[in-house]
Amino acid sequence: MKTVTAPRDVPVAPVTPPAARSRRRRDPAPYLLLSPAGLVLAVVTLAPIGFLVFTSFTDYSQRTLFTGVYRFVGADQYTTLLQNPDFWVALLRTVLFTAAMVAGSVLIGMGVSHLLTRLGRAWRNTVTVVLIVAWAMPNVASSLVWNWLFQPGYGVVNWMLGALGSFLAWLSEAFGFPGGSGVFGDAAGLNWAQDPVLAYVVIWLLIVWQAVPFIALTLNAAETQVPHEYKEAARLDGASESTVYRIVTLRFLRPTLLLVTILSVIWDYNVFNQIWLITRGGPDDATATLGVYTYKTAFVGFKIGNGAAISVVTTLLLLGLTAVYIRNLLKAGEDL
Amino acid sequence: MKNAIAAVFCLVWIFPVYWMVNTAFKPRPEVMTPEPHFWPHHPTLDNFTAAVTQPQFLTNLGNSVLVVAVTVVASIVLGILAAAALSRFRFPGRRTIMVVILAVQMLPATAMLIPLFTMFNRLDLLGTYTALILAYVATVLPFSIWVMRGFFVAVPAEVEEAAQIDGATTWRILVSVLFPLVAPGVIATGIFAFIAAWNDYLIAYTFMQDESAYTLPVWLASFTNPHTGTDFGAQMAASVIFAAPVVVFFLIIQRNLVAGMSAGAVKG
Repeated sequence: MKTVTAPRDVPVAPVTPPAARSRRRRDPAPYLLLSPAGLVLAVVTLAPIGFLVFTSFTDYSQRTLFTGVYRFVGADQYTTLLQNPDFWVALLRTVLFTAAMVAGSVLIGMGVSHLLTRLGRAWRNTVTVVLIVAWAMPNVASSLVWNWLFQPGYGVVNWMLGALGSFLAWLSEAFGFPGGSGVFGDAAGLNWAQDPVLAYVVIWLLIVWQAVPFIALTLNAAETQVPHEYKEAARLDGASESTVYRIVTLRFLRPTLLLVTILSVIWDYNVFNQIWLITRGGPDDATATLGVYTYKTAFVGFKIGNGAAISVVTTLLLLGLTAVYIRNLLKAGEDL
Repeated sequence: MKNAIAAVFCLVWIFPVYWMVNTAFKPRPEVMTPEPHFWPHHPTLDNFTAAVTQPQFLTNLGNSVLVVAVTVVASIVLGILAAAALSRFRFPGRRTIMVVILAVQMLPATAMLIPLFTMFNRLDLLGTYTALILAYVATVLPFSIWVMRGFFVAVPAEVEEAAQIDGATTWRILVSVLFPLVAPGVIATGIFAFIAAWNDYLIAYTFMQDESAYTLPVWLASFTNPHTGTDFGAQMAASVIFAAPVVVFFLIIQRNLVAGMSAGAVKG
């Protein structure tokens, strides 16, 4: 777990004994040191959170932005929201999509992590560099690259699918396999962003592509710590490699796995840029997850009070997971 | 077998990046062709010229540099003091502060965006550098504190005690003993902050309505030619220019990355 908690190039020293600390009990230094950051954070994070909650109880709208006039409407925004089927659909969509993205990236990440432990030095370094480069790509740039890869007419992915289709057609022609032709027949003209299912596929591929490096490298750091003796013992007992992985490695990986899964859920649940830049939530709101739905409500429709209520509900739903995450960090030995 | 899997994985995972770079160096007829060219047959820098001579490129680059620089400096200066307080002292309320710092990191971006937007609107700050910088400090400062705290924690208490025995004051210990020891960590944190602010699209897109006030990511995303459709060659060249510093910085701090990510930094 050491690798996922805090940067520690130097071994962690034990906390100063109480005797040394008590001498400074009345030291005003920590408060003086904290106050500049505390002041700024109070203004730019805590006050806004309070203001968000307040706004969710008002009818803050586009008009309010110009006039400053709004009405306190109590829980109206929330009752309207909870009766709005669009909200429930967006929530369901977010949950399912998050599950698909997390499952994809964690499973592939586990595979790559395990692969790394079995490779020779040269291949291991190559895979690591590839992971870091993919990870480093700013998500605005990769979203634009994705738009280009999946461009109808000129996108290289459509061309590849077309080529694969022709190859399958040729195979079925030559060897009499059924159903090979026509599968990807009109691939060149595929408009991914205009089809709900295909739009999800494109976004899913992008998110998984970006998420795998962090997951693979974090898990790999933990996997290299698994004691060899346990694996050897299992092998001597005649366990197959997959059993060794399941019984020994996975058991040791569990805390790290839990941490990366929770983080992935939090991040994927909050994904905005990639969806916005690829589909803008379309076609017909098919890819409008909660983040996009909130953004459209608050900044396209300028129903800010309504958007604030969605945000509060979204955040509350996330809060449980955040609590689990923080508890895990604490348990992992982070000295709070 | 495992080498074959590694090779396939590398090919698939690097392909999007390769396709960006490859496209950036192709002349236009090679970009817009139904039969893709897997390497530029006639490599050219025209796309880079086209990208940097786009209207607003230099202005928007300048905006990015200014806003990011101020954000990095502010979050380091404020962050280093707070990190010192949270790592080298025991005082009432410390745990609460740390939990709040962690929790704020996990808020959905849109949840911070709405109140910041309305607040800045009331203060007439929308579209100004100040609004952008304040919003970036709000997102970057919590994780700067968290990451730098990790570096402070790594400094053995004995170092501090030795200075104390020599009669150094608290301030003297901080400035002459602790700060120099955590300097590498401060640089790593500065790079984290740079990446987070440099990459931001959502806040700048929402706050900066005027083209001349865009930052690079917003400029990049709005990069379309209304007459001929998107110039993908130029857009990919611009993406290379935009992504290059981030990739370089990533490679420099890669060993600290995993730690920073777990503290909620550099959100996807």
